[in-house]
Amino acid sequence: MGYLFDPHNWEWLVTGNNARFLFEGFLVNVQIALIAMLFALVVGLALALARLARNRALSMAAGVWIDIWRNLPLMFVILYLGLALPQPWRDAYESAAPGFLPEALRTGRVFAALLALVLYNSAVLAEIMRAGILSLDRGQSEAAAALGMSYWQRMRLVILPQGLRRMLPATVSQLITLNKDTTLVSIIAIEEVMRHGRVVTGVNFFGGVPAPVLQVFLFIGLMFLATNLALSRLSRRLEIRERRRIGTTVKPISGAEDQLAVARVD
Amino acid sequence: MSKLLDLLTENAGNLAGGLWVTCRLVAGAFAIALVVGTFVAALRIAPSKWLQRLGGIYVETLRNIPLLVLLFISFAGLRRAGVPIGPWTAGIASLGLYTAAYVAEVLRSGVFSVSKGQVEASLSLGFNYAQTLRRIVLPQAFRTVIAPLGSVTIAMIKNSAIVGVSLLALPDLLKEVRIIGARTFETSEAFFWAATGYLLLTGAATVAFRLLERRFAIRR
Repeated sequence: MGYLFDPHNWEWLVTGNNARFLFEGFLVNVQIALIAMLFALVVGLALALARLARNRALSMAAGVWIDIWRNLPLMFVILYLGLALPQPWRDAYESAAPGFLPEALRTGRVFAALLALVLYNSAVLAEIMRAGILSLDRGQSEAAAALGMSYWQRMRLVILPQGLRRMLPATVSQLITLNKDTTLVSIIAIEEVMRHGRVVTGVNFFGGVPAPVLQVFLFIGLMFLATNLALSRLSRRLEIRERRRIGTTVKPISGAEDQLAVARVD
Repeated sequence: MSKLLDLLTENAGNLAGGLWVTCRLVAGAFAIALVVGTFVAALRIAPSKWLQRLGGIYVETLRNIPLLVLLFISFAGLRRAGVPIGPWTAGIASLGLYTAAYVAEVLRSGVFSVSKGQVEASLSLGFNYAQTLRRIVLPQAFRTVIAPLGSVTIAMIKNSAIVGVSLLALPDLLKEVRIIGARTFETSEAFFWAATGYLLLTGAATVAFRLLERRFAIRR
C-alpha cells in the first residue's frame, strides 16, 4: 500500500509530457474503436439481413460465417491478420488513408487491426440486430405486406426503424467491449495506449523520473474506466427509455456477453 | 492439404501442449470466476445498501477495464513492486477476477428473474430469509442462469488467448502456434490449427451448457 500511494511513484504523472503522451495513445484507441464500430454496423446489418433472408442457402451461409467469427478469440484474429495480410492490401490502405488521421492510424498494420475488429464485431452485431428484428411482432411485417409493400419497402419503412431502435442500448454496450478490445491491437505494433504505457515505463523517459509499471497501467485503466462508465450510463438510459416506450425488453443474445450487464432490473 | 496435415503431425506435441495449457488456464479461471462471482452476487443482493454498493463497485470496475491492462498490472506491475507473483497465478487470477464480474451480473439477474410473489408466498408460509433463498429462489434462479453462464464461459475461453500472448512464460495454444508459424513460415497452416482448437473448445462448452440446460429444464 505504501508503494502504491507513495507520491514519489506518482511524480511521473506531472513530469514532462507523460500524461499527455498516454492520453494521445488513448485517443488512438478511441478512434480505432469508432472507425471499427462504424464499419461493423454496416457489415453487421448486411449479415443480419442475409441471415434473415428467405433464401435457405444464403441464410445458412451467413449463419456459418457469423458463428465462426463470433467463436474465435479476437486476439487470434488480430494476430493472424497482422501476420498474414498481403502487403499490397497494406500499401493500398496506406495510400488511401486520409491525411487528417493521426500518424499512428495511417500505417498498413492498422488496416489489419481494423479488419479484424470489423470481422469480429460485425458478427456479434449481426446477432444483436437479428434478435432486435425477430423481437418485433410478426403482425408488423404481415400488415405491411397487406398494404402492398415490397420486401425492401417493408424492411426500410417498417421493420428496420423499429428493430434497430430496440438494439441501440446493446450496440452502445458492444462499443464498450470494442473500446476495451482495442488494447489488443498493441500486439501487432500499433502505437496506442498500451505501447505508450510501455514507453513511459521505460527508464529515463522525459526527465528521468521513475514511472513504475503498476502506477502507469493503473492510470491507463482509469482512463478506460471513466470512458466506459459514461458509455454504460448512456446505454442504461437508452434501455430504460426504450422499455418505457415498448413495455418489454429484447432477449439477451449469446455471444454478446457484455449486453447481459445492461439487462438490469431497476 | 497435405501441408496442413504435415504441420499437424510434425508439431503435434507442441500443439497438444498448448491446448493443455489453455485448458488448465480456463479451468482455473472458471473456478475463481464461479467462487468470486457468487460472492459478489451475494453482496449485490444483500439486504444492506453498503454491501450492495461494494459489489457494484467490483462489477463496474472489473468490467470496464481491459483484460490486457489487468494483466499488465497483476504481472509486470506487481513484480516491479516487489510482489513475487508467477505467470500462472497472475494469468489465472486476472482472467478469473475479470470473468467474475460478468458471472456476478448473470447470477444477480437470475435471482431477480424469480418473481417477487414467490418470495412473498414463501415468507408467508413461515420460511425465513435463508430458507427462502435456498429452497425457493436459488433452485429457480439456477435454471435461468445456465444459458447466460454458458456464453460467459465461451467468452472466457476466447479471452484466455489474451493471457497467453501477453505473459511470456505461459505457452498456451495461440502462443505455440505463433512460435510454430514463425519457425516454419507456414503462418496460415499453423493458425488454421489454432482456430480448430479454439472452435473445439468453444463448441464443447456450447454443447455442455446445452446439455445442462436440457437436464434442468422443467417438463411442461
